[in-house]
Amino acid sequence: MLQQVVNGLTLGSSYALIALGYTMVYGVLRLINFAHGEIYMVGAFIGLMTSQTAGLPFAAAMVVAMAGAALVGVVVEKIAYRPLRKAPRLAVLISAIGMSIFLRNLALALMGPQTRAFPIPFEVKRLNLGRLRINSFDVLILLTSVGLMIALHFLVQKTKIGKAMRAAAEDKETASLMGISVNRVIAFTFAIGSALAAAAGVLIGMNFNAVDPSMGMMPGLKGFTAAVLGGVGSIPGAMLGGILLGMAEVMGIALLKSEWRDAIAFGILALVLLVKPSGILGRNLQEKV
Amino acid sequence: MKFMNYLFDSNKNHSDSKGKRFRIRSMRTVSIAVLLAAAMFLVGCSGSRSEGPSGEADGVDKVIKIGMVGPLTGDYATYGQSVRNGVQTAIDEINADGGVNGYTLQLIAEDSRGESTEAANAIQKLIDQDRVTAIVGAVLSGETATVAPIAQDSGVLMVTPSSTAPGLTDIGDYIFRNVITDDVQAQQMAEYAVSELGFNKLAVIYANNDYGVALKDNFTAKAQELGASIVGTESYLDGDEDFRAQLTKIGDEIEALYIAGYYTEAAKIAQQARRQGIEAIFLGADGFYSEKLVELGGDAVEGAAFTAGFYSGDEVEAVQAFVSSYKQKYSQEPDMFAANAYDTMKIVAQALAKAGNDRAALKDEMAAIKDFPGVTGTTSFDAKGEAVKDVLILKIENGTFVRAS
Amino acid sequence: MMISPYYYQLLVIASINVIMALSLNLVTGCAGQLSLGHAAFMGIGAYTAGILTSVYGLSFAVALIAGGAMAALFGLLVGLPTLRLKGDYLAIATLGFGEIIRVSILNMKVTGGPFGLRGISKQTNLTIAAIAAVLVYWTMTRLMNSRFGRALTAIREDEVAAVAMGIDVTRHKVLAFVISAAWAGIAGGLFAHWFRYLHPSSFAFSASVEILSMVVLGGMGSLEGPVIGAAVLTYAPELLRGVSDFVSQHRMMFYGALLVVMMLVRPQGLVGTGLNGLRVSKFRRSRGLEQSGIDMVRRRFASAMKRAQRKGSPSPCVVNEQLADLAVRSGAGSSGTGVAGGGGEEHAGS
Repeated sequence: MLQQVVNGLTLGSSYALIALGYTMVYGVLRLINFAHGEIYMVGAFIGLMTSQTAGLPFAAAMVVAMAGAALVGVVVEKIAYRPLRKAPRLAVLISAIGMSIFLRNLALALMGPQTRAFPIPFEVKRLNLGRLRINSFDVLILLTSVGLMIALHFLVQKTKIGKAMRAAAEDKETASLMGISVNRVIAFTFAIGSALAAAAGVLIGMNFNAVDPSMGMMPGLKGFTAAVLGGVGSIPGAMLGGILLGMAEVMGIALLKSEWRDAIAFGILALVLLVKPSGILGRNLQEKV
Repeated sequence: MKFMNYLFDSNKNHSDSKGKRFRIRSMRTVSIAVLLAAAMFLVGCSGSRSEGPSGEADGVDKVIKIGMVGPLTGDYATYGQSVRNGVQTAIDEINADGGVNGYTLQLIAEDSRGESTEAANAIQKLIDQDRVTAIVGAVLSGETATVAPIAQDSGVLMVTPSSTAPGLTDIGDYIFRNVITDDVQAQQMAEYAVSELGFNKLAVIYANNDYGVALKDNFTAKAQELGASIVGTESYLDGDEDFRAQLTKIGDEIEALYIAGYYTEAAKIAQQARRQGIEAIFLGADGFYSEKLVELGGDAVEGAAFTAGFYSGDEVEAVQAFVSSYKQKYSQEPDMFAANAYDTMKIVAQALAKAGNDRAALKDEMAAIKDFPGVTGTTSFDAKGEAVKDVLILKIENGTFVRAS
Repeated sequence: MMISPYYYQLLVIASINVIMALSLNLVTGCAGQLSLGHAAFMGIGAYTAGILTSVYGLSFAVALIAGGAMAALFGLLVGLPTLRLKGDYLAIATLGFGEIIRVSILNMKVTGGPFGLRGISKQTNLTIAAIAAVLVYWTMTRLMNSRFGRALTAIREDEVAAVAMGIDVTRHKVLAFVISAAWAGIAGGLFAHWFRYLHPSSFAFSASVEILSMVVLGGMGSLEGPVIGAAVLTYAPELLRGVSDFVSQHRMMFYGALLVVMMLVRPQGLVGTGLNGLRVSKFRRSRGLEQSGIDMVRRRFASAMKRAQRKGSPSPCVVNEQLADLAVRSGAGSSGTGVAGGGGEEHAGS
C-alpha cells in the first residue's frame, strides 16, 4: 500500500509538471491552451533530437528543448490566439482545439507514427527501503516540479515582469493604460508555459523511454484536470492538483478495477467543476460584463 | 401542448416582413441542399459510368485489380503500411514471373485511417469504382468487422492478413483470414508456460481492446485448466504510459507475467516491472514481434518469450529471399503484418490462377487451399475460412529474436 | 436510374452527418455553448438502438426512437449540472463526460465491450436517412424562429443581458442540450443500422471534433451552414482519395488548420448569415461613451509607450512600475497564490 502512495506521488508529480504550464497561461489569458499537450510533445521531440542526433549532453538538450518549445508556444499564440483576443470565447476555444489537432498531425507527418526510444542518459539508482522501491529519476521529477513551482511563484510575485503578468491577468485594458505591453506579457507567459511543458515532455519521455506524436493528448487532458482540481491560475494549486489526481488514479487502480482509470480521472474533473469550479486553492472568479 | 407552442411559435411573434425574409432564405437553403445532393448524385452516376463495365476490360493490358484497405495514416499507420508493402512485394514477384494466367496484378491501396467509417467508404470505392477482384484487408479487427459484410454482400473475396478477433470469418463465405488467431496463440503460450517451463504462479496484464481481452481470456482459461494459478489480472488502455499501480497490485511474487498487448506498451510495462523489482519472465503474443520491442524495452525484455506466426531469422530459403527483397524495397525488416500480407497475396494469386475471373469460383478455390508453403509456414483453410497455421514460439536472447522451440 | 453503392453510401453518411452537425449547431452555434462530447450521444443512441433490434428483436422504428430518448435522457443528466458552467469549463466538462461514456461502453458486457457490437441488421437506407435529415432541418428552422430560438440567441450574445430580460438561462440551455442529444441519438441509430457493427472508438473525441469542424466550416448558428459543412466534409476526403496523396494522408492536419483559419478569417463560416456571436459585434463596440473615453486614453498611452520604448526603457514590458502597481488591484497580493486575478478577460472585449 505504501508503494502505491509512492506510485501516486510520482505519477502526480508528472501531472503537476504539465499542470504548471497550463495554469500560467490560464491565469493570464483565461484561455485553455488546448495545444499545451502538443507543445509538451514537441518539447520531448526536440529534446530527443538534440540529445541523440546532435549528441548534446542532458542539460544542454533540456535547455534547447525548452527554448525551442518556447518559440513554438509564442508562434502559436501569435498565429492562433492573438488575433482573436477580442473575439468571443467560443472562437478562441475552437482555434485552440484546431491548433492542437494541427500540431499533433504535423508531428505525425514529420516524425511518423512510430514510438521512439528516449533512454535516460545516466545511471538510475534504485532505493530499496524494505519492500518499498523508489528510483532516483522519479525523485528528480518530483524535485523538478517542486523547484519549478517555487521559481514560478517567485517570478510571478517578486519580479517586475511578474507584476506585469498579474496586472494583465487582472484587467488587460487597465494594464495597458498603465503602460504595460499586454502583448509582450502574454507572449512571455506563453514562452514560460511552453518551456515548462517542454521540461515535462523531456523528463516524462525519458522516464518512460518513449516519445511519439500522440503522447501529448492524454497527459494534456490530465494536466488540465490537475490544474482545475487545484484551482486554475494558482501555482501551488497546480502542484496540489497534480499530486491529488495522481493519487486518485493510483488508488482507483489499487482499490477498484484498472479498467476505470480514465473514467476516475474525468469523473473527478466533472465533480470538481460541479462542486467548486474554482478548484481547491483557486479564488472564485466573478465573470464581469 | 403549451410547451410545444412555445417551441414552435414562429408565426405568431414575427412581423410579416421578417417571416417573408425567412421564407426566402429557407427557399435558398433548400435549393442549395438540392443542388448539392444533385451534384453528388451526378458525379456518382458519371463516376461509375466512366469506369467502364468492369475492371478486367480496362486498358490495353490485361489487368487484375487487387484492393487493400487499412490504416495508411494515423496512429495505426505502421500496421497498414506493412500490409501494403507486403502485398506489393508479392505482386511485384508475381508480375515478374509473368503474372496470373497472362494477367498483370495491380494493387490499389486505400487508407482507412484506422476508422470504421473510412474503411467502409474505402471498400465501397474499391468494389464499385475500381472493380477489384479480391481484397486483402482490412487490417484492424474493428475495420474488418465493419467492411466484411459489405464485401460479403457484393460477392468479393476478402482475406484479412492481420485481424485476429474471434468470429470474423463467420460473417460469410467470402471472408477469409490468414493469421493465427488470438485464442490459438494464447492457448499455445499457456501450454508452453505451464507444461514446458513449469510455471505455477502467473499474472496477466492486458490492453483493454479486442486483442488484449481475447488473449487474456484464452490464456487464463488454458493456464487454469493446466493447473496453474493466475494471481493477478490487470488492464490498461493503449497509449497509457504509467503502469506502476497495476504492477504493484500484481506484486513481485510471480514467475511469469503475460502481457496481452502490443510492443510499445509491452516495452514500458517490462521496464517499469523491473524497476518495481518484478523479476518474472515476460510472456506475450505476436504483438511483441517488432524490433521496437528491444529498442524501447532494452534489458528489461531480455528473455521474454512470445508466440508468432513468422520469424524473419528463419533459415528457410523462401523466408530469406522475402526478407532481403522487402528490405531492399522498404529499408526495414518485414514484420508479421508484412509477412502475412505477402503470403496472403501469394495464396490469393494461386486461387486466381485456378478460378480465372469467376468470383464465386475464386472463393471456392480459396477454401480449397491446402498446405500452401509460405514465409509464415504452411497454411490451409478450415470450413469457416480460418487459416490453420503453425504457431512459433520466439524469445529474446542478447537483444535478438531466436526460436525457443 | 441506378446510383453506385459507393455514392449511395456517401449520401447516407452525409445525411447522418447533417443530422449530427445540425444538432451540435443548436447547442454550439445557436446557444453559444461549446460541447466537445457530442459523439458520445450518438454512441448512446447507436448502441441503444442496435441492442434493441439485435438482442431484443424490437422493430427499427421503435429502436430509433428509443435511441433518441436514451440519448436525450443522458443529455439531461449531463446537461443539468454542466450547463451552469461557462465557456472553457463547459467544453472540458463535456469532453470529460464524453470520455466517461466511451469508457463505460468499453467496459460493459451488453455492448460487446472492446469487441464491438456485431450482428445488427441493415435497415437504414437513403430514404429513411434523408427523411430524418430533412425532418431535423425543418424542426431547426421552426426552432430558430420561435421564442425559444430567439432566447438562445440572446443567451449566446450576452448572457447577463438575457438574464436581465427575464430568460431562464439554464433551463433554455438544458432544453437545447436535450433536444440536440436526442437528434444525435437518432443519428446514432441510423448509423448502427447502416454499418451493422459498432465499436466504441467510432464515438471518441476525434469524432466530436469532426462534427464540430462541419459546423464551423459551414457556419455556426446558421441553418444551411451545418448542412453544407457536413456535405463538404463527408465528400471532400473521398474526392481527395487518389487526387493528392499528400492532402489525403494528412487530412487531420488540414482539419486542424481549417478550424484555426476559419476562426481567423471567416468565423461566420462559408455561408454564414451574419450571426454576431462570433464577431465583436457593432452593438458591443459602440456601447456607451465611457468606452470611447477609455479608448482615447489608451491610444495616447500606446503612443507614449512606443516613444518610451524607442528611447530604451528598462523593461520591455513595463514602462512605469508605479503604474503597473496600480494595475494590480486589490486581491492579487492578499491571497498571494498566483497569477489569478479577480477579473474575467471578458471585460477587455466588451
